Amino acid sequence: MTKTLVIYVHPVEGSFNSCVRDAVVKYLSKHDHEVRLRDLYAENFDPFLSANERALHHTPPTTRPELARDVEHLRWCEAIVFIYPTWWSGLPAMLKGWIDRTWMNEVAWVLPAGANTIRPRLTNIKRLVAVTTHGSSKFVNALQGEPGKRIISRSIRVMCNKLCRARWIALYGIDNSTLADREKHLATIGQRVARALR
Amino acid sequence: MNVVVVLGHPSADSYCAAIFERIILALESQPSHSVTAIRLADEKFVTAISTAERVAYETATPLISDETKRHAEVLLQADALIFVYPTWWSGLPAQLKGWLERVFVLGVAFRFNDNGKIRPNLQNVRHIIGVSTYGSPWRYVKLINDNGRRTLTRAIRMSTGLRTRTMWRGIYALDTCTQQQREKFIADTAEKIVKRLEKSSR
Repeated sequence: MTKTLVIYVHPVEGSFNSCVRDAVVKYLSKHDHEVRLRDLYAENFDPFLSANERALHHTPPTTRPELARDVEHLRWCEAIVFIYPTWWSGLPAMLKGWIDRTWMNEVAWVLPAGANTIRPRLTNIKRLVAVTTHGSSKFVNALQGEPGKRIISRSIRVMCNKLCRARWIALYGIDNSTLADREKHLATIGQRVARALR
Repeated sequence: MNVVVVLGHPSADSYCAAIFERIILALESQPSHSVTAIRLADEKFVTAISTAERVAYETATPLISDETKRHAEVLLQADALIFVYPTWWSGLPAQLKGWLERVFVLGVAFRFNDNGKIRPNLQNVRHIIGVSTYGSPWRYVKLINDNGRRTLTRAIRMSTGLRTRTMWRGIYALDTCTQQQREKFIADTAEKIVKRLEKSSR
């Protein structure tokens, strides 16, 4: 039983990503995972890190009570599954903003006095899984250097447990895909995510 | 030369904003440039693409708000794009990423050719220049990968002309930088940008 936080980001209900969300949540709930689903668009999450909030960068999380639920979720989970479309080679602004705002001091990291690299705090998280779609081909994404993939598998992973594994499950070239390709992806996606969480 | 300078930091009194303002000043002192300054936070630019905008994105008329229309017009006239932003979680701040998502759409950043293939549409842009502040040291940034830089100099670069040149300026380990280092970085950056744009406007 894995405590799994699912972060889903897509503005349009009925989109392919929303089908992926349903398939993943259904499969995981059926197979003994404790799932908490966050739908950032449906909750009207504000992804803008304001100047006032930026000024609180080095303060404890109690200064940002509006994000208390996010903090609680981050400290609770053992795994995070991100479900989102890749736009301009990276995370949608909504998701990037969620990370900018909630992976905060004393929750995700601490900065010891005089140091210039931060130290991890989310040692409860042992798995990160990204489930994404790319309009462009794998070749184009490789040329661009997969910025979105590296934000998850490197930048935020180092704030998690030392043994934390990051898994990348992507459907490339969705703009040129056939219905059969997408159905195949949906049919197996729950299982693939569950395997990544093992 | 039409130069568009975009600030991705929310606070007007930040070091990033200081770099931004100095670049604007330096460019405005050159009679050959016409400068458009975009301060996303001051403009209260909406960060996340909305449901209506995402639906419109798939159509022939993706620009449905006044702010995105205005920015798109500026982009289509630009000879140089300069981004000044803080690197957070190795990438762009959400608001700047949202700017790309909402403004760099069909008819602005790309178009379809007769065969339905995507083609660049910002061939007017001859320079992409990024200036970023990093909390981490240079080695750490390289290890994690500079994902904001990749987004701007590779992903966005694919929407501009074949001859578009890129230039990058970064100040690393900002938290432990001295005041002198910060001052020097600002002065050098402004000077180098002016020089780069001067050469090609001749």
